[in-house]
Formats: sequence, structure tokens, C-alpha cells
Amino acid sequence: MSDRRIAKLSTGIKGLDTILEGGVLRGGIYIVQGTPGAGKTILGNQLCFNHAARGGRALYVTLLAETHGRMLAHIGQLAFFDEAAIPDGVSYLSAFRILETEGLKGLTEALRREIRARQVDLLVLDGLVSAEETAGTPREFKKFIHELQIQADLADCTMVLLTSAAADQGFASAEHTMVDGLIELRIRMQERRSERELLVHKMRGGGFIRGVHSFQVSEAGITVQPRIEALLASPSQQIAADGPKLSTGIPVLDELLGGGLHRHSATLVMGSAGCGKSTVGQHFLGAAREPGLYLSFDEDPEAIRFKARNLRLPVADLYERGEVEILWQPSTEGNFDEICLRLLERVRERDVRRVFIDGVNDFVQMTGEQGRIGAALTALANEFRALGVTLLGTFELDFNGIVPGQPLSSLPILGLSPIAENIVVMRFAALGADIHRLIVVLKARDNALRPQFRRYDIGGRGIEIEADAVQADLILNELIRQTGAVPAPFASAPFAPDKPSGDGT
Amino acid sequence: MKTILVVDDEWAIAEVLEALLADEGYRVIVANNGKQGLERLREWRPDLIMLDFMMPILDGPATFAALKADPATASIPVILMSSLPEETVAQRCAGYRSFLRKPFRIAAVLAAVDGALGRDP
Repeated sequence: MSDRRIAKLSTGIKGLDTILEGGVLRGGIYIVQGTPGAGKTILGNQLCFNHAARGGRALYVTLLAETHGRMLAHIGQLAFFDEAAIPDGVSYLSAFRILETEGLKGLTEALRREIRARQVDLLVLDGLVSAEETAGTPREFKKFIHELQIQADLADCTMVLLTSAAADQGFASAEHTMVDGLIELRIRMQERRSERELLVHKMRGGGFIRGVHSFQVSEAGITVQPRIEALLASPSQQIAADGPKLSTGIPVLDELLGGGLHRHSATLVMGSAGCGKSTVGQHFLGAAREPGLYLSFDEDPEAIRFKARNLRLPVADLYERGEVEILWQPSTEGNFDEICLRLLERVRERDVRRVFIDGVNDFVQMTGEQGRIGAALTALANEFRALGVTLLGTFELDFNGIVPGQPLSSLPILGLSPIAENIVVMRFAALGADIHRLIVVLKARDNALRPQFRRYDIGGRGIEIEADAVQADLILNELIRQTGAVPAPFASAPFAPDKPSGDGT
Repeated sequence: MKTILVVDDEWAIAEVLEALLADEGYRVIVANNGKQGLERLREWRPDLIMLDFMMPILDGPATFAALKADPATASIPVILMSSLPEETVAQRCAGYRSFLRKPFRIAAVLAAVDGALGRDP
């Protein structure tokens, strides 16, 4: 039996081909709909220039849109733009006058003629809404779309129709049902930030990654970031379960973890500000001479290197040699999926073995959608496991525990199990005027852990954990004695001692 | 009264040029593609042609070649208009009078027109 599958045409747009599983169907007809300013014109132009760069011929036809001179002046600033490709590879025509004087019939005929004369195999029609307004009836407009469909098929010319839409406009019109694919570009406000989003509502002839994806417009043009939890729904390779244990770079912490970390594992270090979480991460990155990556949302690279030198941590030399790379992403702005993809890209490029994410909370804030963070981080952690990457991340807690000193109150433990098989908690404990630091391993992959508090200090050589629990035991027992509290190490609410009843009886 | 033929598929640009040049005392004839432009040319015999580069049906270079091949119209000065740089356009239209890069300014348009028609600005 002959293979009747239609070949796909790559869009050449980073991330979009991934979502469309290779691109659009050659000779197919597609609608790209979006609110004004969403990026339709840039997308249309980028498709044309990418197509021309691969040896194709594209035609960009405007109906009622900005003038070509102004359009080219705008897109001329973008990396994909290649003036040399015009007019042979990409040509621009206005067909509005034809539409006005000869109607849809004239426009269809003009497009047919130009496709043939210029041997075009990609057509972008900018301003479909003008054609719709010209059509006397919905039936006329359907006929127009149908004729375009036939032309696209006959000429083996892929057609992309750009149309504006109100933010609340649906996708149930006749033209939506007729075309091969429907892509929506939109802008969503997240508090004061605006997020660009892309949705594929329909795509005939193959699968696509469903849901809302982020996209950005930069000097490179449009780049799309597929939803990370969908992209990595299944890890790219089998996750190995065995392998030697690795050191965290802190010998006593290795002991508490039951001998260190598994190669294919993720660890969360949780604690309030200033308790030394980032320093644990630096110990971890410097524990072996293997490619590492530090993703920081807070401290800039110079501050990180300075701290490493100051504490005389082994990782300081690895920074200098470039064996451990620092990626700094200020949490003021940023896109969750873009950062995840950039992180994965760097890991794959450099065959990174150890990744330290300093500030999982910042990741959570960037999504603006608490509902997806668990799945997204789980998918990311699973991919790292599959790639043989050992992951360590920090999670900032509040200062509960300083007063009155319950070290394990208010931990957001729920939902963390799929992300991390190891959970380390660092807490302050106030005793009189002294603030003590305590560390405990709450969870480890093979349960070989020693669930025991230890006191630790941050000194001239970084984190130094006491070899036994004597001091931690004294501190916690004294806290219990002073507050009269019954120990409730896993209480989910801040500890508060019982108050005497107010009725005086 | 001097007659100018404006040949441009972008209707808004053609209309703006028509109004601007009419204000300056020129008779302006408009065509929206090269084929229509050649028809108007035979009908009106303009003193100047303002010709866009990329157009449907018959593009700028083909229109330019056709009018230069006809002895009756070969000597009419042509101002080429395009969003592309002049060097790209010049490769395909040898012998044009002057060039206007889009988006253009009124002063540049008037200077090019007056220069082509030998009128003092």
C-alpha cells in the first residue's frame, strides 16, 4: 500500500515545530488568530523568511494592514529578516484594491495567478477580516475559504491566514471548521506583567502538544516555549535506578543521607533566609570535578564566586575553570518554561552532571499558576534523572521556628514527593539570646537516612555539621522545657503554646 | 499642467500621493498594478511615472522593461519606489530617473518629482 501521508513543512520557529510535531502540512491552510499586538505579523513574516532561507518561495499579501515600507522597517530589526531574500525569496503585495474593486472572486483569482507566476509554495494572507467583511454572507466567505483550500492543494502551496480577533472571540465560525489548523496568539495579564501565549486549537494530520504555551518576541523574532510538563511528559530516556552514591561535599550530611545522594536523584534543601541553603548548593557543586550548573534567581555570578572564594569552597576553582557555569536569572522578570528549556539546553550541551537551582520558590512565582508547578517541576526533575543529572534545589521557608523554636512547623511538605526523593531542612532555633542552626534529613530515597537533628555552623570552610546530636538534643529539649510545648515536629501550622482560657475560671 | 502616473498596489500610498501631488498642481493618474499602469500610460502619455517595485499581475521591473521597450514611452522619466534598498532595485531597472525608499517623507517626494520634471522646488 502506498504511503499517503502528507509531508510536513517546518515553520523554522524555535519551539513551534516541537509543538506541531514537525510543522504544518504542505499544501494545508491555516488560520493564525490573535488580538492586536499579539505578534501575528511577526509570525507571518518569520515564516516567510525561514521558508526562503531553506530555498522556498514565499508571498506575503496584505489586505488592510500597515504599509509594506513600515512593516519592513519594523521587521528589519529582527534577526530572521534578510533583505537579500526580497523579492525572489519573499515578495510583498497589497491586494486590498483588488478586493475592493473585484470582490472575493477577484482576490481568489489574483492569489491563484501570483502563486503560479512566482512559483510560490508559502502564502501568508494578512488581514483575513477584511475578506470576511467583503463577503456578503457567511456562505460567500465559506466559499472563499473553500476555494483557497483547493488552490493550496492544487499548487502545493501552504497558506497561512492572519486574522484579528477580540479577546473573547471563540473558535466556532465556519472558517475555523474548514481549515487544517488553527493557532491562537494572545496576551494575558499576570498582575502587572503581560505574558504572551500560544494555543493550538486544531491541527489536522498529526498530533500536537495541547494546552497553553508561552512565546516571546525578541530580536530573534518569535520563540515558543512548549509547556514543560507536556513536553517532558515522558522522560527522553530510561531512568536508571542504580549507580554509586555521590557526596554532597559535606561529609556529615552524606552520613545523614545514608551515604550520600544517588546519581539520578533530586534533593530539596528547605530553610529560611540566611540559614545557608545556597552554601550547601555550592558544596554540592564542588564535591566532584564534573560539569556543573548553578541557576541563581537571587545572587549574581560575582557575588556567588566571591562567597565561594571567601568560604574557601572547592567550587571556586571550578567556576574559574568554567567547569561549573552560573546562569543568573533575576526573578524580577522571566518566563518559567523559557528558563526550564534554557536550563535543559545547557545541561545537554555541556553534558552537565550536577545542577543546583537556587530558589525553587522563584520558579513557582514565575508560573503565576500554582496549579501547574508540581507537575512541571516533577517533569523537569524526571528529565534530569533520565539524563543522569543529580539535582539539588533550595526552597525558602518563613522564619517559623525561631520563636518559639519549633524547627519543623509550617513546612510545605505536600506535593513535594514526586519532585524530590531527598528533603533536607535547615532551621533556626532561638534559645535565650542565641540563635542556633539545626539541620535534619526528613526524607531520603532508600530510607537509609538518619532522621536526627544536628547543629551546624557556617564558618571559614563553609557548612560544618556536628558529628553527633548532643547539642541539638540539648537545644530542643530546653526549648520544650521553656515553652511547655509537646513536640509536634510535623505540625503544619505555626506552633503556639496553649493559652490559658480567658474566663478566669 | 503636467501629468504624473502613479503605479502602486498599496492603495493608501497611491491615494496619498495622488492628493499630495494634486495639491502641488499636477494631474495625477493612478494604477494599482503594472498591467493597469501600461494601459493608463497609453491612454494618458504622462510626463512622469512613479513606479512601485513589487506589485501583483505585472511587477515593477516587468512594467519598467515594457515601457522602455516602447519608443513612444521610453523617454518618460521614471521614479522608482520601494521598501527595498536602491541597489536591489537598480539591478533590475537600469535607466530610471531617481529612487524613493519607502516609507518616504513629503519633502523627498516633492524634491524627486520637481527634479524629474525640471521644476524649481
